[in-house]
Amino acid sequence: MMAEIALPAEVEWAPAERAAFQRLTLAWSGTLFVLFPVLGLLGLFMRLSHANFFPNLDPIWFYAALTLHGVGMVGLWFITGFSGVLYLLSRYVRPSLAVSRLSFALTLLGVLLLVIATLVGRFAAGWYFLYPLPYRSGGAWANWATDVYLIALATLGVAWTLWALDLLRAIAQRYSLSQALCWHYLRGETKPEVPPLILITTVSTIASLTGFVAAVILLAFFAADRLAGVPADPLLMKNLVFYFGHVLVNITMYLGVAMLYDVLPQYVGHPWKTTATTAFAWNAVLFLVLFAYFHHLYMDFAQPKAFQVLGQMASYMISLPAAVVSILGTLAMVYRTKVRWTLASSLLFAGTMGWAVGGVAAVIDSTIAINFRFHNTLWVPAHFHTYFLMGVVLMIMGFLAHLTAQLSGREEPPALRRTILTLLLVGGYGFLLMFYLAGAHHVPRRYAVYPEELAQGILYARLSLPFIALLSIGILLYIWEVGKRWALAFATVGARSP
Amino acid sequence: MAAFELWSFLALIIVAVYAHFVLSTRAPAEGEDYYKAIGQLRRPLFVFLALLLLISFALSVPHFPYPRNQIPDKVVYVTAKQFAFAITEKPIRTDEEFEEATTAEPVKVPINALVEFRVTSRDVNHGFSLYAPDGELLGQTQAMPGYVNRLFMRFDRPGTYLALCLEYCGIGHHRMRGIFEVVAQKGR
Repeated sequence: MMAEIALPAEVEWAPAERAAFQRLTLAWSGTLFVLFPVLGLLGLFMRLSHANFFPNLDPIWFYAALTLHGVGMVGLWFITGFSGVLYLLSRYVRPSLAVSRLSFALTLLGVLLLVIATLVGRFAAGWYFLYPLPYRSGGAWANWATDVYLIALATLGVAWTLWALDLLRAIAQRYSLSQALCWHYLRGETKPEVPPLILITTVSTIASLTGFVAAVILLAFFAADRLAGVPADPLLMKNLVFYFGHVLVNITMYLGVAMLYDVLPQYVGHPWKTTATTAFAWNAVLFLVLFAYFHHLYMDFAQPKAFQVLGQMASYMISLPAAVVSILGTLAMVYRTKVRWTLASSLLFAGTMGWAVGGVAAVIDSTIAINFRFHNTLWVPAHFHTYFLMGVVLMIMGFLAHLTAQLSGREEPPALRRTILTLLLVGGYGFLLMFYLAGAHHVPRRYAVYPEELAQGILYARLSLPFIALLSIGILLYIWEVGKRWALAFATVGARSP
Repeated sequence: MAAFELWSFLALIIVAVYAHFVLSTRAPAEGEDYYKAIGQLRRPLFVFLALLLLISFALSVPHFPYPRNQIPDKVVYVTAKQFAFAITEKPIRTDEEFEEATTAEPVKVPINALVEFRVTSRDVNHGFSLYAPDGELLGQTQAMPGYVNRLFMRFDRPGTYLALCLEYCGIGHHRMRGIFEVVAQKGR
């Protein structure tokens, strides 16, 4: 089926090399099966804390958990997305196994350092470590914990920059930059035929590299402050950190979408080919993603007003390619079509719905006049969890279900698929609805304890708990099912490696 | 709540569309090219959404909260520091002045007057938010070291207003608060 709907594979791998690559991809996804539940537990811990289950807990633990949950989840889904896309791309181009292995080792080291910084050093400045808080904690955590956190980020930055550069190198061996960005489609040409996977990955990788550059500058300013006592400009630092963070989250989303374009057609029997519209849409995304991050700084009235206006315009416009190309494309793909609904295809499809529902909430919040009241309320985690947890996370979970099914030859029984989907969707959307309601009722985000004036925050946290229970059971069932296939695949592929 | 209602309305439409499309796969149409037919919706959908967004953008511009050369009836100085707000009639210059101000009588501002809050921080980033006596969040701006953010507000309800911190600032972030009063007669 694959050969009919995708471009023919152009890269021949030696069997041992292919097996080694598959093993590495499985190793990346194995990390997910361990870290996802652990980081999810931190999320549960925070909602329990909001629900007043631990009235005497030292708030530092809430904020340390907040930091690790935020940075960990985004990093985790980014690496799983990237490694998955790399695997899919290996049909067309030849990424370096050695670089991917090095990146994996450095990532594990980075994760270890993050855990030490937050759970041992009690570093709790939030994933976004707004300057100058990390070194001005008022004694809540030691400066060494901040050092370790920043070194962890630098380690991850090096790992992922090498990874991204190697991927661009691999793409460049086959396509020129203008071909990889499909500019020839804009001129009306269709040769060489470039799969959407190449286009989306090129856009995402270039954008992620710009984010890593911002992170390098940010870390350099921190180092100058820490080592030489040269203070940085807090507004500039805020711009840098939000640019980096926003791009990383957006790119993770797009990696999930790249998987969607590549994998969903295999369950529908209809190819998803690049067209001039697709090419235009993704090039527009590459441009707009550079400016959308300004919406994180709307409440910094000292920021030039032109940036704020640009931020709202870019945030509005970036929703268009998503809606009319990717989401409408997904819907068109399945309409009155014989779809082979499996865990893989269902999750990929459901992920686009979360993207749409969360996207609407994001556009609402990216309106400056509304953000004036919604900024840093629970509306913000409401919308980004919708397009993250109910969007890209489902897409990547769908891809992993697909990968492990392919490599192990096993698929789930239909009843189990329906159970997992129901639990994930009912639990996930119910959990998020309480975030939305709390945000609409002015409950701030990033509060360890709600003051008496905001007691409604406690109520919404309590109401979210049954939904979190359903969601957790759904995730555990998924890991149980896909984990079994994963183990089988690992053993099968391992038997083929040298 | 209007934003919540708007979002839930649109979210329900999206869920309904998805449900419809999933159900449509139960009766696949052999030979019919629905893919192209749905694809033809792309252009009208693009035009519709682009217009909707442009109109929303235009309508939102007059509601931008940024200063527009207004002359305030009263100026109030807001200084943030881990973990309190000093809301005063004169700028805070030292930590001692800050400590004194956090325990002083609340500042009074006249009802319906245009009040300018000059908001800054003595240490890290904070968020200065205004909660009305009934708990409604009226607006906010960031309190940043080295910068003064100017926030213009009018209050049409008398009573005690609460300022909470809306930018994470450290372990006492959730405890941080400041108050001021809106009074029916002109303040001092």
